[in-house]
Amino acid sequence: MKYSIFKILSIVLICASCTDVVDVDVPEAPPRLVVEASIDWEKNTLGNQQSILLSTSTPYFDNLSNNSVTDASVKITNNTSNEEFEFTHQGNGIYGTSSFVPVLNQSYTLEINYQGETYIAEETMTPVVDIDEISQAREGGFDDEALEVDIYFNDPGNEENFYLFRFEEEGDLLPELLAIPDEFTDGNRMKVFFEKEEDEDIGQEEFEPGDIAFIEFYGISKQYFNYIDLLIEQYENAENPFGTVPATLKGNCVNPSNPENYAFGYFRLNEVNRVTYVFQ
Amino acid sequence: MTYPKLLCLSLFLIFTALVSAQNRYTISGTITDASNGETVFGASVFLEGTTIGAVTNEYGFYSITAVEDEYTLIVSYVGYATSSKKIVLNTNQKIDFEISESSTELDEVLIVAEESERLNIKTPQMSVSKLKVETIKKIPVVLGEVDVIKSIQLLPGVTSGDEVSGGFNVRGGAQDQNLVLLDEAIIYNISHLFGAFSVFNADAIKDVKLYKGGIPARFGGRASSVLDVRQKDGNSKNFELNGGIGLISSRLSAEGPVFSDKGSFLVAGRASYIHLFLQASGAENSANFYDLNLKTNYNINKNNKLYLSGYFGRDEFNFGANFNSGYGNASGNLRWNHIFSDRVFSNLSFIYSDYDYILDFKSFEFDWISEITNYNIKYDVSYFQSNKLQLDFGLNAIYYDFNPGDINPTTETSSINPLLLDQKRAFENGLYASAEYKVSDDLTITAGLRYSYFMRRGGQALTDYENDLPIVYNTILGVYEEGNAIGETAYAKDETIKSFGNLEPRLALAYQLNDNTSIKAGYSRTAQYIHLLSNTLSVTPLDVWTPSGKFIKPQLSDQYAIGYFRNFNNKRYSLEIETYYKTVANRIDYVDGSDLIGQNTIETEILNGEMRAYGLEFLFRKTKGDFQGWLAYTISKAEQRTPGGAAGGPGINNGNWYYAPQDRTHDVSITASYKLNDKWDFGANVIYQTGRPVTYPDGQYSYEGLNIASFSDRNASRLTDYHRLDISATYVPNRKPEKRWKGEWVFGIYNVYNRRNAASISFGQNRETGANEATRTAIFGIVPSVSYNFKF
Repeated sequence: MKYSIFKILSIVLICASCTDVVDVDVPEAPPRLVVEASIDWEKNTLGNQQSILLSTSTPYFDNLSNNSVTDASVKITNNTSNEEFEFTHQGNGIYGTSSFVPVLNQSYTLEINYQGETYIAEETMTPVVDIDEISQAREGGFDDEALEVDIYFNDPGNEENFYLFRFEEEGDLLPELLAIPDEFTDGNRMKVFFEKEEDEDIGQEEFEPGDIAFIEFYGISKQYFNYIDLLIEQYENAENPFGTVPATLKGNCVNPSNPENYAFGYFRLNEVNRVTYVFQ
Repeated sequence: MTYPKLLCLSLFLIFTALVSAQNRYTISGTITDASNGETVFGASVFLEGTTIGAVTNEYGFYSITAVEDEYTLIVSYVGYATSSKKIVLNTNQKIDFEISESSTELDEVLIVAEESERLNIKTPQMSVSKLKVETIKKIPVVLGEVDVIKSIQLLPGVTSGDEVSGGFNVRGGAQDQNLVLLDEAIIYNISHLFGAFSVFNADAIKDVKLYKGGIPARFGGRASSVLDVRQKDGNSKNFELNGGIGLISSRLSAEGPVFSDKGSFLVAGRASYIHLFLQASGAENSANFYDLNLKTNYNINKNNKLYLSGYFGRDEFNFGANFNSGYGNASGNLRWNHIFSDRVFSNLSFIYSDYDYILDFKSFEFDWISEITNYNIKYDVSYFQSNKLQLDFGLNAIYYDFNPGDINPTTETSSINPLLLDQKRAFENGLYASAEYKVSDDLTITAGLRYSYFMRRGGQALTDYENDLPIVYNTILGVYEEGNAIGETAYAKDETIKSFGNLEPRLALAYQLNDNTSIKAGYSRTAQYIHLLSNTLSVTPLDVWTPSGKFIKPQLSDQYAIGYFRNFNNKRYSLEIETYYKTVANRIDYVDGSDLIGQNTIETEILNGEMRAYGLEFLFRKTKGDFQGWLAYTISKAEQRTPGGAAGGPGINNGNWYYAPQDRTHDVSITASYKLNDKWDFGANVIYQTGRPVTYPDGQYSYEGLNIASFSDRNASRLTDYHRLDISATYVPNRKPEKRWKGEWVFGIYNVYNRRNAASISFGQNRETGANEATRTAIFGIVPSVSYNFKF
């Protein structure tokens, strides 16, 4: 929500004509391992098909291709049963398994060996409540005339919960992410909306009947919330002079023998609701 | 110097002064402007052919003591005709002067040192700049709106935050380290429209004084500077209307005598109307501001005078149906000037001030109110003991109420629960004494001592943390995290959670090398008990003030300065060179990735560090003739260091020094005005500043299908250099002397060569192409303006 606050402020203050795209010399840091280990267990599935993506970071203005990591070894261990799940390279930096056994509230350890360094991460599989209702409306959202899809769910009371939404319209190049805590809404029925405003600059149009939206609704740990919330804030606020000062994001993939050489990215495990919504 | 030594010195000075006082009489009085009866602050009053003299105080009062003799008493003030009067000093006497603007020297004096003419190089006060409002009005500004803050940014050692923050930085200090006073009331936010304009209406202001260092003992509470803005008292001779019509706002003020000529009043208002244009053009978003200044005074008798002044200002923003916001300051001050004797002047003030903002998030169905309020009692006494010694002492007590946030749902269906963040309370008290002692004709010393005492009061609960650590370093992830809360301690309203006391010595001396040259040196320590925390790129009106307490220590600033001052060519030119070194202990900074919004436990997001700044300032002025102006140049450095401390870990930026956001290596301003004839006046500014330190990305990677930037060390890169040229022309149409209506047209062009100065550069992914881009935000390109000002 806070980035929305600042985003709104910036829209109030900054006219479009005040901004332009410029060439800037930026510093270049040496490449780092990037771990996108998202163990997402879709509700009502077995969850044994899982994959992990490994790559390296590049200079800021370089093309992000040909930077897959193909020669690492990857495994996840169940911290209670010590059962190990090997992930094997399947091409393009994707490491997969079809024998993973997800257990809610179970902690797991990820271990990656790459170029003689060992990276370790630990996380807990976090459950999520069901979607209570999903419907469309024009009223509400940022624009009372634009079509939006509203997702309702009931937050469990008297406990800290954190959620992640991933929205994408069919044909979109990039997804939209939204992370929310229940800090201000504990125990309430919550509503989250996905709406698009017309913006010629980026070729974006409002939703129309027949459009298809892909919605993913995750339960996430507090630690992952802290990470992804900041990631989204820095990403979304990129063009905002009232945004928070950016900082390098550290995830949970550490390098115990050489702490400075940590990896970017995150090892997360969460339950997820996936819904495809067709606007009427 | 240790405190006991300093006290001994002060006592010694007082003692030597006392024994030498004999056969002396005192002349005292008030200096006013003949045209409108306004008291004159900073006029020199002296006895011709001697070194005996004084400078009028904020209320125009002076007092001179000399041995029995015949003298010529002279009053001089830059831009005014020198007045003189022969006197026989054989008894204590009261002599009031009215001075008139000089006809031969009518040209605007651009900037005057506080003490005009021959005394100015003698007093130990250094690092101070005073701008008269007439000067400020001649400086070209954006959209023709006369701006006090933008004017002081043209002085050496003063830099602007950026065009969207509207604040100012003094000698490498942060914006919250400036004490901004409007008729003694603390102003917490000095900007309208997020910094495009300042809250000070030039029609209501008499003068502006900025203490960059050598802060007198009567001021306290901020680590860097004091900006002392005084409102006009109102014309006590004639009724007068002033106004101006500009492109985006207009103003009107009325002043005149009241209470059967025993007093005067001033009412001044301003309002913008850009929102009308915006609405007319069909824009969903709008912004506007207005403000009102009030002042009145009443002469009870020759020894007692009452002043009442007030300010109220508001900004309002509308963003379609989704979001409304408003913020503003309000202040009031009731003052009583009492003259005990011809040598003892006193002032008692009761002051109130308040700043609040309201955010109404319609799309999220809640609103958010935040507020800071303070009540302040101040009592100041000046004792003009002899021509060698002046003593100032007084006390001051401020009570603060902080409301960092009150969040409420605005609809029945809102999923937001009401939340009131901890309401904080504090007392800040000060007690001071200061002596200005003329050791010899060449050497003058001012020694002062302030004792400040701060109490963070209860009425709230504080979180208890494991090992008393509100923030801890997670050695596994290499990041700072909230400490483990293990409980809460509730404090009753009449309890003090934590208190701090600080001795703040101030010392200044001036040594005169010859009639035109002097050297001054100063040291000052100041304590700052309330802090403004911001982790945004620009200071926003939504930043929250936080009092010192269990987790946050007061900032302690030590500044050393030395300067060389010279008038030459019959005082047509002057040169000031100053150098300073400043350290601030206990400067807090936020950790990477901190979340300060709606944060009840700010202590979990910050680390305690330090700050240091040093620099060299040049100011070369021409203050007489048709062509006047100044050149100011500053070279400086401002850095911060924030180690992990008790929280463990390396701290911010691995515990290394990093540039403070307000660091500017080079800062150059040239301001010039030229009077062509009685009809045309021209003005120009040139400004050049090194770019602001910023944090740029040094890499990227893909995550969740997005290009995520990774960032370098804090503030390791810089924006491109900032520079621009502004010009203005003032045209006074032919007017008949008998007509009361006087009008003038002011034409201006801000940023003549349309330089796109970056207020910020941000890095993001183009949603259409997916490529990374650097986007520059530049607020003001070339902005032409015209306004019409009138006086009736």
